[in-house]
Amino acid sequence: MEKPFILHMLTTAKNLSPFDVNMALDAGWVTALPYINVEPSEVQGLVQDAIFSRSTKNLKKTGIFIGGRDTKQAMDMLKTAKRSMVPPFEVSVFADPSGAFTTAAGMVAAVEHELITKFNTTLEGKNILALGGTGPVGQVAAVIAAQAGANVRIIGRQLEKAQNVADLCNNEFGDGKIAITAGADADKSEYIKTADVVFATGAAGIELLSAELVAIASQLKVAADVNAVPPAGIAGVDAFHNGTPIEGSPSGALGIGALAIGNIKYQAQNLLLKSMLNAEKPIFLHFEHAFSVARDYIKTKA
Amino acid sequence: MEKRSILHMLDPMPNNSPFDVNMALDAGFDVLMPYSNVKLDSVYGLTQDAIFSRGPAGVKRTGLFIGGRDLGLAMDMLNASRQAMVPPFEISVFTDPSGAFTTAAALVACVEKELKTRHGKELKDCKALVFGGTGPVGIATGVIASLAGAKTALVDHLSSDTAEDVAKAYNRRFAATLTGACARSDAEKVELLKDADIVFCTAKAGIQVLSAAVLKDTTRLKVAGDVNAVPPLGIEGIKLNDLGEPLLHAVSAPGAVGVGALAVGNVKYRLQHTMLRMMLETDHPLYLDFRAAFDKAREIV
Repeated sequence: MEKPFILHMLTTAKNLSPFDVNMALDAGWVTALPYINVEPSEVQGLVQDAIFSRSTKNLKKTGIFIGGRDTKQAMDMLKTAKRSMVPPFEVSVFADPSGAFTTAAGMVAAVEHELITKFNTTLEGKNILALGGTGPVGQVAAVIAAQAGANVRIIGRQLEKAQNVADLCNNEFGDGKIAITAGADADKSEYIKTADVVFATGAAGIELLSAELVAIASQLKVAADVNAVPPAGIAGVDAFHNGTPIEGSPSGALGIGALAIGNIKYQAQNLLLKSMLNAEKPIFLHFEHAFSVARDYIKTKA
Repeated sequence: MEKRSILHMLDPMPNNSPFDVNMALDAGFDVLMPYSNVKLDSVYGLTQDAIFSRGPAGVKRTGLFIGGRDLGLAMDMLNASRQAMVPPFEISVFTDPSGAFTTAAALVACVEKELKTRHGKELKDCKALVFGGTGPVGIATGVIASLAGAKTALVDHLSSDTAEDVAKAYNRRFAATLTGACARSDAEKVELLKDADIVFCTAKAGIQVLSAAVLKDTTRLKVAGDVNAVPPLGIEGIKLNDLGEPLLHAVSAPGAVGVGALAVGNVKYRLQHTMLRMMLETDHPLYLDFRAAFDKAREIV
């Protein structure tokens, strides 16, 4: 009898996200089992229970998903899970807390695509403002863009918090190899003058970039907004925009809205979940892999 | 269309064990449903919700699994679910908290077999020590060995009071004849081992319970079994796959042999798989606990 594909889904929250459950089952996992309120200290025990109860052949049909809300915690849990493997007893693990890794990957890949196709340039050396960038999606988008060579500034309402988040991104997620800076929301009218790209990843329903600021953004090329709930996070960018010119932009900037980003996010998450299904060697997936598949997806679609 | 088989997995802990999940799906259950943080007084209601919703044919495709970490609670839950059955609306129930019942059953069955083949002895002729005897696997091992007739002592590494309390509690519950003991040092271990025929090693993973120095002084030891698969192993000189290999360091105990953790684990795995299959294949409901596990483990070895 063929054994089923089993995905063990761990979350530190009190429920899994139904989004991730649907995605996992649609990607081909036959069974997805929830483990809720998981403490990071419990990860090793859960992983070892999972790996020691199937033959190495059937472990190829076994996977672990790490959800939750906190990016740092999810990355730590991913590391713990990887260290808990006892080769040849090992399985693939994919971390995507709050869908932030795949959402951020989708956004940055979409922005990069517009830069390449419409402006004949890349993320390398671009000035990026991550507005509302202290949350999970903002943090990870900042890291992905910085790793691609952009100068990223995380803007928050409180400078101190933005600075802490930038430090966390540089040290924990960027391995000390990137240098994201921080800025206060009050100063964004200065920063916007030299910005090439804007990411808006604030809470739903908050306008982070007004029409007045769009009007003075003289070198803005692409602005992306993950918020699907009106009012838009960036004035003039709605959820359906997909490389659409932003009204009132003096530099002819293009907008990318939540649905376009969501589509790439969906594809990236689906591809990563599928890649775990029959991986010959166990794979450990996070935002870097999400960005890689998001880029590939956009290229093949274009 | 034949109804899908459903296993309702009740657990007093916040989560099920991924081990049991893998085992249940690989045994052929189509759908698993986890119920976490389950309290004893909810088991009756949950059981009746499970039996009254599928019809007499559907109940044959329905099972209940009880996990957790506490053996007594698991047995209470098994009894509560059994009392909730309303024939012909009844389903099979299997309890294996922390995998302790199947691990212990496999361990005792392996040791019993070596005792018979290498020494021509039965459990009832022997005196057994269970190191790590106050943990789930240790208690289950002790109860099974005691009910099979061995004079069995649960050994705690800190306190004889703890060991005696546990022994008394489980004697009351299962009419076993366990005693308690304590071994804090090598000297105390040597003393205990003087008249021991059997050693079950069920201490925490990565803890060496019996060193070469302790083993050297044993004279009556016949079989030692270990469930610790993480180095250092529970018994110095034993190998993971040993199944009746001589115990290197027990130089004064003629014919003493060991059973390693993977040898036990292999039987445990087949045992749990078999018991889950039994739930799917049976015509009448089964109530499976450590006793059923030991009966089946004896067949497997």
